[in-house]
Amino acid sequence: MTKKLEISQVSKGYKENDVLKLVSFDVEDGEFLSILGPSGCGKTTLLRILIGLLEPDTGQIFKDGIDITNISPAQRGMGIVFQNYALFENMTVIQNIEYALRINKKTKANARHTAKEMMNVVGLNEQKDRLPRQLSGGQQQRVAIARTLALKPDVVLLDEPLSALDVATRISMREELKRLQDTFGTTMIYVTHDQEEAFALSDRIMIMDEGAISQIDTPIAICKQPANDYVQTFVLDNLKAKIASLAQFDLGKSS
Amino acid sequence: MTIFQRRLSTSSLIKIIIGIFFLFFVILPILSMFGRITSTSLASVFTSSQFSKALKNSLTTTFVATLISMTIGLVAAWSIERTAMRYKALFSTIIVLPMLIPSISHAFGLVALFGANGIVTRFFGLANGIYGFWGIVAGSVMYSFPVAYLMFTSILHYEDAMPHKAALVLGIPPLRRFVGITLPYLRKTFIAVFFAVFTMIITDYGVPLMIGGKTTTLSVLMYNKAVGMIDYSSGSVIGVLLLIPAIVAFLVDILNPEKGESGFVSELMESTNNRLALVASYVFNGAVLLAVLAPIVSFCIMVFQTKYPINTEFTLYHIEKTLNRGAGRYLINSIIYAFSAAVFGTSLAFVCSYMTSRMKGQLSYILHLISLTSMAIPGIVLGLSYVIFFSGTNIYGTLLIIALVNSVHFFASPYLMMYNALEKLNPNLEAVGMSLGIKRIRIVFDVIIPKVKSSLSEMFTYFFVNSMMTISAVSFLAPPAPKPVSLMINQFEAQLLMESAAFVSLLILLINLLTKGGFALAKKKFN
Repeated sequence: MTKKLEISQVSKGYKENDVLKLVSFDVEDGEFLSILGPSGCGKTTLLRILIGLLEPDTGQIFKDGIDITNISPAQRGMGIVFQNYALFENMTVIQNIEYALRINKKTKANARHTAKEMMNVVGLNEQKDRLPRQLSGGQQQRVAIARTLALKPDVVLLDEPLSALDVATRISMREELKRLQDTFGTTMIYVTHDQEEAFALSDRIMIMDEGAISQIDTPIAICKQPANDYVQTFVLDNLKAKIASLAQFDLGKSS
Repeated sequence: MTIFQRRLSTSSLIKIIIGIFFLFFVILPILSMFGRITSTSLASVFTSSQFSKALKNSLTTTFVATLISMTIGLVAAWSIERTAMRYKALFSTIIVLPMLIPSISHAFGLVALFGANGIVTRFFGLANGIYGFWGIVAGSVMYSFPVAYLMFTSILHYEDAMPHKAALVLGIPPLRRFVGITLPYLRKTFIAVFFAVFTMIITDYGVPLMIGGKTTTLSVLMYNKAVGMIDYSSGSVIGVLLLIPAIVAFLVDILNPEKGESGFVSELMESTNNRLALVASYVFNGAVLLAVLAPIVSFCIMVFQTKYPINTEFTLYHIEKTLNRGAGRYLINSIIYAFSAAVFGTSLAFVCSYMTSRMKGQLSYILHLISLTSMAIPGIVLGLSYVIFFSGTNIYGTLLIIALVNSVHFFASPYLMMYNALEKLNPNLEAVGMSLGIKRIRIVFDVIIPKVKSSLSEMFTYFFVNSMMTISAVSFLAPPAPKPVSLMINQFEAQLLMESAAFVSLLILLINLLTKGGFALAKKKFN
């Protein structure tokens, strides 16, 4: 595998408070990388720096070997999906997807064609003329994802995209995300505070604590060899407790 | 230069330009008014018996009128929000009708009804009429109670029903619930309404000028000094005094930001079907309705009858005569002022609130505070400070200065309206746009503006309606600037052309009703 992104010595602080402390890591091409950590660990700040909405105090970001630290978000070839969808609420589903395509100098027919294709992929054909407020949370997030993927970015950043959804929708959307990644071969960086989600989805997980990386490895490797106490307690113990409670519930049902 | 530095400078540049605008059209004029105060003017104002009488009159009339306004406003708001009354839309529309005509028209309405030659006075053969203390109180209540009503309505509407239900389960009777739950919930609102109404009344000169008779107030004294005797120095002394209640009101307002609406309401309150409450509500609101409509009806009688009560024949003679006296030209001036203040004010308030709500930073915070300060400056104070600061400059005596003074005078409310609307929109819209290669400005036009267009139209009508009827700042600036029609009411009344004064009041009401109604219809159609 080749390196898609290379993050080198990135740091960011607000008023004497270091949110990110010299963070360095690589992302492989086509990889699904989760950034896992509690709120306030710096993961969202990191994401905003990657997409170009925030300027890092120090460090550099390379994409395909090119320094993109000072390039505008529009020219980075990355997409972003937020937890609260941020759909254009005055536009229908299909207009939401088409809008950016048109602005990026696609012909009308071409934009419409791509938008229709995308709606097929995320299964929203029947809802194409509805407004966002007429959709369920899961459907809205599908629109947001389709809108981002329509521009064919090679890296997609997802900022807790499923946190606002109910449990059942969340689990089906996870599978959907995996499927979309397989279809498009996109590199995905997925920010979450949910251990289960990270372990279910990721090729590798990057665990963060107070602005620094605790461990970055495959789920299996992390289970086998947690790097420190924090990884053990915050990630593994929590996960085990969850599984244990589920197991108990299953036992109760069968008896 | 990186993208971040470039982006920073564009938005900062806009913020700085708006800041400079406020510097020249708010801060420097006010400071120049302070600069006019001399030790002689201080001494002459404070030692005159005129002043101490006016101060006493101002405080007593304003205090009494404020309490009456608040009571009427609260009872009306409660009955409309909390009882199962019918025709609520009709009642609430008529209650706010007085907000569409100048304060001076209300006093003129009282003069027409209860003055020495008033319709009611003559009909019942009463003597002398209501000039003086009670006239000022009644006239002030007429235009200020709708403001109290609106403030109470919005807070009562969002009262959470859950505490009441919990109390009901515990067996607490209705009156105790009102005293124990609703009144404490309204405490902050009481304070806010008190200061808002108090400031409004004490800084108004229209009512006491028209109906005060020998009872002079501070605002009238200031008006007489500055407009009548061109004594800017003494006028400035009183102007600074009139800033005090306004500044207190302003501080109360920004130090008490949450007034309940923002809270999480699990359930809205239900309306009561209690028979006694219903009957009382109909009687009360019926009386309010009568009081609001009586002056308007009396205007119509005066305008369309040859000479009430001697000759009640229908005529258009008074209208023709008023138009011959130049009312048409003044009306056109007013419409130009109102329209340009609405266009400029709405644009400025939108750009400014966009900067402060969606591009936050230190500069934004300063700009936010400056934007709100216009709320603390009474119209007559702003007017006087403009005279002092701008006389001799190119814009003095032009249409432009009036459009500008109105934009500034009425800036704070529409600004806040838009600020709140923009804050509620998804904070990531621009970020998503940028990641999709869509510039901020396109997101503003294609996504943000369509979402807030109803707020935009409300801002536009607010500027328009208020500029149409204001008599405060403009009375200092016109003349030399072309006169707006609202200033003709006082002039016609002074020339004993009562029918013409009534016609002008009706004209302003009509234009404002058409504007409000037109926008309300458009809103219904496009949403």
